[in-house]
Amino acid sequence: MQKKTNFGIIVAVTVLSLIGLLMVFSTADLYTLIKQTVWLVIAMITAIVLSRIPPRFWSNIAPALYIGAIILLLILLLTQSSYPKRWFKIGTVAIQPSEFTKFATVVFLASYLAARKKMKRFSDLLVPLVIIAMPAILIFLEPDLGSAQIFFPILLLMLYWAGMPATKIFIFFSPLVSAAASFIIYVWVAYFIGLTVFLYFHKQLNDFIYGTVSNFLAGLVMPLVWNLLKPYQQERIITFFSPWVDPRGMAWQTIQSKIAIGSGGIIGKGFLSGTQKKLEFLPLRHTDFVFSCLGEEFGLIGIILTTLVFAYLFYELLLLTRTTKNRFSSIIVAGVLAWLGYQTFVNMGMTLGLLPVTGVPLPFISYGGSSLLACYMAIGVCLAVSRSKFKY
Amino acid sequence: MDENIKKFKFLRNVIIGTAIIIIIASIKLQVIEGKKYSRLAEKNRIRQRYITASRGKIFDRNGIEIANTRPGFYVSVIQSMIDNKTLESISKILDIDKKTAQDKFKLEKNPFMPVKIAHDISYRQLSIIEENIDDLKGIEVGVEPLRNYPYGELLCHLLGYVGEITHQEIKRLQGYSINDYIGRMGIEEHNENQLKGNYGIEFVEVDARGREIGKIAEKRTIPAVNGQDFYTTIDVVLTESVAVYLEKYKRAACVCLDPKNGDILVLYSKPGFDPNLFVHGMKKKEWEILNKAPDAPMYNRALMSCYPGGSTFKPFVALAALDANMITPEKTFKTCTGKYRLGRRTFKCWKKHGKLQLSGAIIHSCDIYFYQLGAFIGIDTIVSRISALGFGKLTGIDLPGEKKGLLPDRAFLEKKYGKNWTEGHIFNLSIGQGDLLTTPLQMACAYTAFANDGEIVVPHVTKTDDYAYHTADISPASIEIIKEMLAGVVASGTGGLARLDDYVVCGKTGTVQNPHGDDHALFIGYAPGDAPDILVCLVMENAGHGGSVAAPAVGKIIRTFLNNTRVTQYAKED
Repeated sequence: MQKKTNFGIIVAVTVLSLIGLLMVFSTADLYTLIKQTVWLVIAMITAIVLSRIPPRFWSNIAPALYIGAIILLLILLLTQSSYPKRWFKIGTVAIQPSEFTKFATVVFLASYLAARKKMKRFSDLLVPLVIIAMPAILIFLEPDLGSAQIFFPILLLMLYWAGMPATKIFIFFSPLVSAAASFIIYVWVAYFIGLTVFLYFHKQLNDFIYGTVSNFLAGLVMPLVWNLLKPYQQERIITFFSPWVDPRGMAWQTIQSKIAIGSGGIIGKGFLSGTQKKLEFLPLRHTDFVFSCLGEEFGLIGIILTTLVFAYLFYELLLLTRTTKNRFSSIIVAGVLAWLGYQTFVNMGMTLGLLPVTGVPLPFISYGGSSLLACYMAIGVCLAVSRSKFKY
Repeated sequence: MDENIKKFKFLRNVIIGTAIIIIIASIKLQVIEGKKYSRLAEKNRIRQRYITASRGKIFDRNGIEIANTRPGFYVSVIQSMIDNKTLESISKILDIDKKTAQDKFKLEKNPFMPVKIAHDISYRQLSIIEENIDDLKGIEVGVEPLRNYPYGELLCHLLGYVGEITHQEIKRLQGYSINDYIGRMGIEEHNENQLKGNYGIEFVEVDARGREIGKIAEKRTIPAVNGQDFYTTIDVVLTESVAVYLEKYKRAACVCLDPKNGDILVLYSKPGFDPNLFVHGMKKKEWEILNKAPDAPMYNRALMSCYPGGSTFKPFVALAALDANMITPEKTFKTCTGKYRLGRRTFKCWKKHGKLQLSGAIIHSCDIYFYQLGAFIGIDTIVSRISALGFGKLTGIDLPGEKKGLLPDRAFLEKKYGKNWTEGHIFNLSIGQGDLLTTPLQMACAYTAFANDGEIVVPHVTKTDDYAYHTADISPASIEIIKEMLAGVVASGTGGLARLDDYVVCGKTGTVQNPHGDDHALFIGYAPGDAPDILVCLVMENAGHGGSVAAPAVGKIIRTFLNNTRVTQYAKED
């Protein structure tokens, strides 16, 4: 059997990492750059090592990996006293367990789904939901809504790729839509009628009963529960779930980010000459808002190039998922694709003012050792899959 | 495999579509709106500003505004733009401490956010600033809604006041900006969440001099939400009359309530302060003077001052005796000769009363009868029968800072005086002296047991239909007997000066000895006797005899209320 490393993925990731180093140098100091470079070297070595490990290995240690990650999150929540509880601090190095939890969860969920060939019933959805919900809730409690939200698209895409029909997935999660829509009665009525019509033509009695009943109840209970809450409790929940409503800096960040990108124009202001970032108008400019500085200094050209490299990387991953014969390997790559792809989109959308501000780093580019290492571990596994894809 | 290709194509299109969305959004920002953003970036011309929410109004029971808002000018500072020289000159114009202003705006994390350093500046200050605005870089002037108390000092303790939020509070509490006021004391504190509203945020574009050119059409503007109005049970017109009647006296507290439901009509304490002063932002010195004044004007005597009840407590001792079936109303003790010897100590009465039955002892307020009655029934009977009336407990009023007072029981006396506490302590308790401590509000509530046939109201200033009561487990017959005696106090006894022509007034006088000067004068009364509409508890510190000073004032308050209850506008009467 031939062994073939996927060079497309390697090139794309290397290019993105170099852009990352450039931007970290531009937005932060030399010390931060050195730290990031050290992390990058560690991450690359890790990826190379992981690419030599056959995928079957991950399938074997998946439960241990997952339980270990959960325990780590619990220790973090119970022992750290500073707030928010997102990092283990070891000297000057801060480790963010939530990043590695994404990796562990993808691996574990893939091993679970791979063992189940038929994915047709709602009950097949429940265990994956629990697998995803546990780390998501623990991370949500840190609190880190930005990282917690990543788990949901990972679940959706992995289920979809594992063979669960999209309509089933939609019907299963439709009560969430109903609860959200219930705040505006007309929207809810329109949604509910639409859903009922859809379910009628879907022609499956069980789905019809589940869909109508659960959506009706969700729409009914949500406003009742909401009205039971005191106004200040409602206010707190709104602030918690929608950080963009919190005026302390969030809206400010978006506007400053848009100014930075917009003022970059087509060709940008040039490397190291961004004015927005230099004057410190942009907060978190080397982490969550690094893309704004990229837009300011390298303009539309820089943004298009970066976006294309990302799109190419994701396309390569998608291709890899399709061509891989082994079910476990295929699903694991789908999970990595959902994770990195969604995170990239949410980060870019946030800096462009399309999406609310939630603290999500841009894979390979934002400063942050844990994020970088976790992303490279995922890429390492994908490379291992590509090397072995003709083995089975 | 077919299905896999279908999924592959779908996801491939998702990737392409997302990339296109990102690129189109960038083109919109960088090419189509590029010029606008370049202009904004050129001199960071966007400014963010807090929008102050208007605080909810407070109304009295007849719909009169007792707290509202008025416009005032403020001065704010933008940290990133101000230099030391400007800070110095603005501090001089505003007559504020430079350091205080600095401490304030350093708290705001966003260096471009204007932070208010002075409120309610004068027209003179405003014109000086406006004239020199070009030199005052980083200074903004604007109009904001400010709290206003039309009745000033009259309702200060009841309403409380608003003050600038402190460093600690901004860190501890959610939903406040550094520019916000927060309610302190009284209704303003207790109903802060309802009254405060929520501040908003707006984005404006400014010119090179920092002047506003226009609002930015940005969906992210968050409008301020004004606070909700608050409706009280207070009768401000009656409160004004009370203040007029007490004009000559320095320190007093008055509680008027509706004994049927616990609506507080008047909650007045004297001396007071002008709550409007706090709106300006009070200087440390002014605050210290006010806070440490010997008459304690910041103190709400009506629910924080603990007085011995004096003779106003006697009816409760009598009630305990009757309820325990230990005496009949005809019970007599040793004749009052003005003196009573217990061991080596002599206890006095204020008058030689002669031989009295219970009714006579209450009507003429004989101490010697009550010394003997107290000793006869014992401290445990007193405490167990009447503690349900609320002594030594919070009344549960919807205002902050209420004191509990103290009803000394056996355990307390043993702890304080050791095993050898004497009958003398019971003597003192029987006439409402010694260790007994009650607040005027507590006394008023306890008296609703008489006015309301055993039901004690939970007092409240929030207008509501949802009334609460404590039921004292006391026989109606005993209450009936005491009620008649309270009518007797006014009809033919020490409370004669509270008598009214048209209404039966029931009540009890009290004259409380205290070590700091003249006696406190007390009177608690309600009317009309059979179905009372108002109950008044009045304490006048160091004013003299309850019967001669407090009783006539309460009579006037009751008359004012009953005769004018259907007329909203009431003219001040002597």
